[in-house]
Amino acid sequence: MAEAETLSHSGICVHDLKEAEDFYCGVLGARLQGAVNFFTEDTLNGRSVHQAYSLGDFLFAVALAPDFMPMPPDGQLKGAMGIRHAFAVERAAFDQVVAGLKSKGVPFEGPVDHPEAGPFGQSVYFKDPSGNFLEIVWRRDEDVAYAAPPDLDVG
Amino acid sequence: MPDAGSRAESDLGLRGLSHLVIQVSDAGRAAAFYAEVLGLERSTLPWPEAEGAAVLAADGGQHVILVPSEAQPDLRETGVHHAFVLAPGARDKVARRLGAHGADIFTYSEDPPEESKDGFYFFDPDGNRIQLIARADTDAGGAPVLHHTAIQVADILWAEQFYAEVLGLTPVHRVGWATADYARAQAWADGKEDMAPGTRRMDKRYSSIVNNRLVPRVNMQVYFACGAGRLAVYLANQHFQESPEEATTGVPRTGLRVSPAGLARAAERLNTAGWRFEGPVSHDPGLPIAASIYLRDPGGNFIELATAGDAAR
Repeated sequence: MAEAETLSHSGICVHDLKEAEDFYCGVLGARLQGAVNFFTEDTLNGRSVHQAYSLGDFLFAVALAPDFMPMPPDGQLKGAMGIRHAFAVERAAFDQVVAGLKSKGVPFEGPVDHPEAGPFGQSVYFKDPSGNFLEIVWRRDEDVAYAAPPDLDVG
Repeated sequence: MPDAGSRAESDLGLRGLSHLVIQVSDAGRAAAFYAEVLGLERSTLPWPEAEGAAVLAADGGQHVILVPSEAQPDLRETGVHHAFVLAPGARDKVARRLGAHGADIFTYSEDPPEESKDGFYFFDPDGNRIQLIARADTDAGGAPVLHHTAIQVADILWAEQFYAEVLGLTPVHRVGWATADYARAQAWADGKEDMAPGTRRMDKRYSSIVNNRLVPRVNMQVYFACGAGRLAVYLANQHFQESPEEATTGVPRTGLRVSPAGLARAAERLNTAGWRFEGPVSHDPGLPIAASIYLRDPGGNFIELATAGDAAR
């Protein structure tokens, strides 16, 4: 089996694509990159109903859940329904991003301070309208140029 | 779920539907049917860009134009239909007249909440699907008023972008974007809900190489506010023959009534967007429409933006 090199993209299931578009584009500033099954040809091929977004260099698909998914309690803002996506912002922009969430009426928990010895600075936790848990974090190591992975090809 | 105010208007001064140009095999026979069954009035006025047509007047200066055409696509299983609003008493009268004509009546559960269950569908002699919506607040003695027309496209996002961003129409109802719509599709598949043709489909699964199980799906639909009426755009559930790409006018055609200032603004907007159109064309005095812009939408549907003329009652 080939080694996985890196994360290519994520798929996030939602209950309402329009609501998700308003949230991911309008609140988080994602860009719509594509859509599937809004075309007759796709419907004849039985493709799933989803849209693709990019946020920075992160590509993710937002797919319409064919059945209702369990939702976390309204008041729970931090957690993981199987997965949580964390988006990184620069430390200098973090306060502004948090203020943006507040002004757009998105309930969040935090900012939470992370241990100084670790790579993470602070996080806020929230969720999308379909109950998917999300996080925005700034990283202490944002200016660190990591060494290239070791060359394991010993021939 | 409504996206915005239910009576939102674009800056085209959109007043609603102006007219519908419908394909029939025999204009005289079809006109007699529409006049007898729906109570539309025959008009002797000619209609621009509708050769050999029979013209019928609905209430509020709206018209139905029946154009003879040899080759007609079979639209019975598509979402394409035309809807009129009338008073409940008038609805019952139409039902009796349809019975006398031996025409069947079909009732379905509806996606748009405002269409409720207080109406029915029938086919004209040429297979065009007509919907009647009964409303208590409608003039009991009046002829039916055109409420909406549904067209189909092969790319619903492009169509929405065109109608919303180029023509400035407001989407007010949408089906197929939400899990709840798929729950209703399942109810339809289970035989618990009867839905109008073109609104649901059984779909093969992209990944079902081994089992060929079909899943129920919704055909996507967006309804745009059009004055007090609606322009409904359905994602086609089958491939269909689109009109020639270079054409700007033809049959069938949907006429939207705009203000004179709105017509000029539409020309500007279409020019800015680089969208092909013809007009504004001024018509002869004394007709129900004074001037028109003709264009073909991204789904190949012919759309006409028309201002009211002297003969619009």
